[in-house]
Amino acid sequence: MNVSAKELSDSSTQREILVLGNPTFEKITEAVSRIVEGKPTRWWYALFSISVLLTIMLFANLVYLFWEGTGIWGLNNPVGWGWAIVNFVFWVGIGHAGTLISAILFLLRQRWRTSINRFAEAMTIFAVICALLFPAIHVGRVWVLYWVFPLPNQMGMWPNFRSPLLWDTFAVGTYFTCSLLFWYVGLVPDLATLRDRAKARIKKILYGLFALGWRGGNRQWRHYELSYLVLAGVSTPLVLSVHSIVSTDFATSLLPGWHTTIFPPYFVAGAIFSGFAMVMTLSLIARKVFKLEDIITTKTLERMNKIILVTGLMVGYAYSMEFFIAWYSGNDYERFAFINRAFGPYAWAYWIMVSCNVIVPQLFWFKRLRTSIPVMFIASIFVNIGMWFERFVIVVTLSRDYLPSSWDYYSPTIYDIMLLVGSFGLFFTLFLLFLRYLPMVAMSEVKGVLPQADPHYNHGEGG
Amino acid sequence: MKFDSSTYRFTEPGKLGKIALSAGLVFLVISVLGYFQDSAQFFLAYITSFMFWLSIALGGLFFTMLHHLTGAKWSTVLRRVSESAAGTIPLMLILFIPILFGLHELFHWSHPEVYDPASPSLDELLKKKEAYLNVPFFVIRAVIYFAVWFLLSHYLTKTSVAQDSGHDDKLTGQMRRVSAPGMVLFALTITFASFDWLMSLDAHWFSTIFGVYIFSGAFLAIMSFMILVGYFQRRRDVLTDVITVEHYHDLGKLTFGFIIFWAYMAFSQYFLIWYANIPEENYWYLYRWDNSWKYVSLVIIFGHFVIPFVGLLTRAAKRTIPYLAVMAGWILVMRWADLYWLVMPTHHQGGFHFSWMDVTTCVGVGGLFVWFFWKRYTSYAVVPVKDPGLEASIHFTNT
Repeated sequence: MNVSAKELSDSSTQREILVLGNPTFEKITEAVSRIVEGKPTRWWYALFSISVLLTIMLFANLVYLFWEGTGIWGLNNPVGWGWAIVNFVFWVGIGHAGTLISAILFLLRQRWRTSINRFAEAMTIFAVICALLFPAIHVGRVWVLYWVFPLPNQMGMWPNFRSPLLWDTFAVGTYFTCSLLFWYVGLVPDLATLRDRAKARIKKILYGLFALGWRGGNRQWRHYELSYLVLAGVSTPLVLSVHSIVSTDFATSLLPGWHTTIFPPYFVAGAIFSGFAMVMTLSLIARKVFKLEDIITTKTLERMNKIILVTGLMVGYAYSMEFFIAWYSGNDYERFAFINRAFGPYAWAYWIMVSCNVIVPQLFWFKRLRTSIPVMFIASIFVNIGMWFERFVIVVTLSRDYLPSSWDYYSPTIYDIMLLVGSFGLFFTLFLLFLRYLPMVAMSEVKGVLPQADPHYNHGEGG
Repeated sequence: MKFDSSTYRFTEPGKLGKIALSAGLVFLVISVLGYFQDSAQFFLAYITSFMFWLSIALGGLFFTMLHHLTGAKWSTVLRRVSESAAGTIPLMLILFIPILFGLHELFHWSHPEVYDPASPSLDELLKKKEAYLNVPFFVIRAVIYFAVWFLLSHYLTKTSVAQDSGHDDKLTGQMRRVSAPGMVLFALTITFASFDWLMSLDAHWFSTIFGVYIFSGAFLAIMSFMILVGYFQRRRDVLTDVITVEHYHDLGKLTFGFIIFWAYMAFSQYFLIWYANIPEENYWYLYRWDNSWKYVSLVIIFGHFVIPFVGLLTRAAKRTIPYLAVMAGWILVMRWADLYWLVMPTHHQGGFHFSWMDVTTCVGVGGLFVWFFWKRYTSYAVVPVKDPGLEASIHFTNT
């Protein structure tokens, strides 16, 4: 795709060309709708079967877990929080990129986001579903899970409002609700398009039901755009608050290595970082399989890589601050916690984390590398791995507490591993269903950034 | 004051510079008299004022680099303001020198006896930090900070002004390329400068978020400063069609966003320390709350967050320029109050203490800052006239 800078800006409006090949509105509709309307490819079936199998494995594991209890996990005495919390934080973090793209980049007028925001938002929702699984199952007695909600009861028993774990319930619950609403509101015009194009009666009814009687009238668009703006405004603080609250699960404790004031913004930066890496992985596959190279352009991918670089640097900044202040505090326990991280029994995990999260993104300083599809694909996978390890490194800080006689080495069991792998199965099952039944690119929004959507189009040099 | 709107230059920069310079000098001389009355208080007041005006300069450097990096169009017309604010770094370097003479008054760790095992005033905790907190290294670090800030601001302004004399679009790319590593250097220098010059005033205390907290304040400072500079010119019919209500609206939005960001930083730091309640760090808040400093703390909570938050919430607030200017002025006062609250209690742990020097040093340093800023700002075209994005910036609308 060799496009010179000149071709990238439309002379009549001076606006950057975000979609290549100067397509008409109809071509956009066609390119996106055909994915939903046509028969799925063999690739889709193959991936879907694998994902469903993994999901079945996940549920079989859950049954065994509920039967036996959390003793099947690798938890031991100092490490009472194992992979469940690691996976929870990992999945919640993934979601943040979707919200950043749909809300914050919208408020910052970043029009290039239109090609990726729909499936980034879908990714958010599915990631949050996977995330919610882990705190739910880690309680052991899942049948009393409703106790996390402050429900009046005859025992006069309430959850502890001072516990960050309870705040998680509200934070992630709010986040899920808002993300779902935002995603759905954005979908309405596109659902109407699919309804209008549907040939089968059942499809007409179902798409029609969810399109809420959308006709595309002027008044409807005005309401739609206002509600979109309001939802973007509501979702923006959520990008920061959710992972800040997740970070308090650790930071409100008294534990060296956990209790540090930079945790809230550090977790948020890490969340966006990991989320963008996941969006990158998914979009690279999707654009290849569904031939959307003209809509999700290399330029868009390059911009995402820049965000990965920036957030990777922020995460690196946070690692350095933690380390420096641990030394500067003069507190022997703080100092030990960090030396132990970098050179103790889990040094391998620490250095995987640093290599994947701090060193790998540095590749994106070079234009050649951040516009190279193979490089960015591999880098995004590394970042995903690195961010999982970041949470692992934080959690296994527990393995060496104040009392050396209670030190122990934590390692997962096969059930821990199967749950993590199974959660990927659940995520991809949901994501593949989404690709199959809903428009993966926001058609109406992409049309809005085409040059011919500009009111001043044709006013320039006679078109 | 005369302005040529065809070249975007001040042909006659008016009296502002002279007034500011004389006010600055007079108030600094008065403050120096205070030095003989109470040298410790003089240095405390001086470092507060210095950090306040320096944060505007650093905010300017950050905003300029952010503008280049994001390739933003709307802020092109405002860039000369942020460039000129960053251009005051040489002045701030000179104004930093007096602090070196007040190290013993300001920084407990600068006394050699706290590191001396034979001395009764040996401080075991500080002893562990000696490798970082010592006078030679402190000075070396200050030199590095100023060198980084000077080189970046000098290069960016020089290149930007060079672009004025011809259509060289390549320079835009060059400034962008320098801004990227510049950002990394900026993040590190402002962080460690805030550790050195503010956090180490109470050298036992530590907080990993402190650098980001100071950065959020610097960003608010430059936002408010740009609004005020714009409004000052607007009142004199300068650039009224160039810096339009749309630009104020965007400045207002960013200011609003960063009011929340600042509060988020301040709250993260406070909340985690309050919740954990460990004596080694909570005492820093206790001596700001358990005595008359409480009222200053309350002023900051309400004045620095609640009032600007409510006051900038609506669209009308951001588009009514005189009102926005009042809010910007208020935020600058609160920026000063925040720094005052960071500095003063460290040496007046018993309770609120106000000195006339707190005000005179601020006016003194500020007078020189405004004079130097205005001198630079009026020495070239006040908008980057040949910037490829200028036209788009002037006609930009919030739709």
